[in-house]
Amino acid sequence: MRASASRVFRALLGEAINDAVRRRIVPAIAVVSLMSLMMVDGCTSCVAAPTIVQNGVPVEIPEVAGWTGMVIFAVLALWTMVLAGVLASDHLAEVLDDGTAPLVLSRPVSRANFVTARLGGVLVISLVTGIILLGGTAVLLVIRNGVSFGAAIGGGLACALGATVVASLAMSASLYLPRIATVMAVLVGVGTIASLNAIGMFSVELGGVAWAIDRFGPPLGTSVVTALSSWIAPTEVPTDPLEVWIRAVAWAVAGVSLLVVVFRTQDIGK
Amino acid sequence: MNALEFSGVTKRFGERTALRRVSFTLPEGSSLGLLGPNGAGKTTALRLLLGFTSPTEGSVRLAGKSPGDPDSRIGVAYLPESLKLPARLTVRRLLQLHGTLAGLSGAELEREVDESLELTGIADRARDRIGGLSKGLTQRVGFAQAFLGKPRLMFLDEPTSGLDPIGVRAARDWIQLARDRGCSILMSSHILSEVERVCDRIAIMNRGEIAASGDISQIVRPDENLEDAFVRVVGAA
Repeated sequence: MRASASRVFRALLGEAINDAVRRRIVPAIAVVSLMSLMMVDGCTSCVAAPTIVQNGVPVEIPEVAGWTGMVIFAVLALWTMVLAGVLASDHLAEVLDDGTAPLVLSRPVSRANFVTARLGGVLVISLVTGIILLGGTAVLLVIRNGVSFGAAIGGGLACALGATVVASLAMSASLYLPRIATVMAVLVGVGTIASLNAIGMFSVELGGVAWAIDRFGPPLGTSVVTALSSWIAPTEVPTDPLEVWIRAVAWAVAGVSLLVVVFRTQDIGK
Repeated sequence: MNALEFSGVTKRFGERTALRRVSFTLPEGSSLGLLGPNGAGKTTALRLLLGFTSPTEGSVRLAGKSPGDPDSRIGVAYLPESLKLPARLTVRRLLQLHGTLAGLSGAELEREVDESLELTGIADRARDRIGGLSKGLTQRVGFAQAFLGKPRLMFLDEPTSGLDPIGVRAARDWIQLARDRGCSILMSSHILSEVERVCDRIAIMNRGEIAASGDISQIVRPDENLEDAFVRVVGAA
């Protein structure tokens, strides 16, 4: 008799979430998230002057609020992606190293089911944090600055896809690298991609490898900004939303697929 | 029908050859003891059977299926040498998890968990966290999880490791009970007397090869005990 794949997945996901919740980093995440929300509250509650003059030209308050909101939202979305990567950096490797995984894998459990459940545990914790952070920020911005809540939902979805990419790639890397190297790779990788996305969208023409990363790499920053483009109207974001969304989904699928393939070829219980 | 087949299996880890053209079978309902000094390749053989690693050459089959196929592990129970269990779980929760993975659910799951707890003498520790148990009690939990789902094949790697003399005797009874239920047993152990009591066939491994295999009576000469035969075979190889 073999349990259905969905039943096995649910059982393993529950354990993966419980493991993730007990990580020492989680209380720190809660504190940082709370502080972030308090900062957002401070940033959005100040009473602005009736008009702001920039280079001698008056700028509309909603436009300033939209830009501020977008930057805050994008930074918090990137923080959520980094968090997913940091949690993923040892969530699989730890159970392989401490020897608890082989007993589970001696049961009629597919490796794909096992590894996606571990990834799911990371994503649940990261996305709950993201929902609290981004949801709280969006509500404050919608109430105080009148930006569109629908765009925030799109931004949240873009964040979820980005977190899936970062976590799955970090988990794959953790099978070969020590934890500290994986964490460094997450920080450098997300930072580099987000910086190139920002530069590519709003200022400099990129070339060479930088252009290729911005154009074909995971659109971690681009997808969030594209989703929030209505907040900064009439400024136009120079991206094709359909292409950005397809690329975001494709990278998420590719990241998870790579993780499953890599894990299937791993020797267990060395 | 064979519970497992190991045919001409070679396993290399880089330059090192852990197993060299190893072949053996385990007919359903029988028991085989894998003996050998440290580094002989016993644990590598078990890892290949569980699909934890793949053979470099040759084939491994569990109930006619590749160990890479999760269906090959239906009804398979495993007790590793260095048993590691999640410290945060209670004994009952761990058994519920493994029962679920073994295909049990609802009232049947709870009944089998209770039976395993009773059988292995840890019913009174069911609510304790595994992290607080002694090594011997943890090994009992290992046996308890192995009995879930009425296994047809058990892989036991040094199964009495960490048990006190009473626990060792109890473990022998549990293994015999599994045999009485028709379960096939593949046991790897350094403790020759234990293998002699539990298994009807043995395979002595040395330096990644099968140095001798067959019924114990075929390998042990009339003037020898199993230990003498083991030293003779391993020393001669």
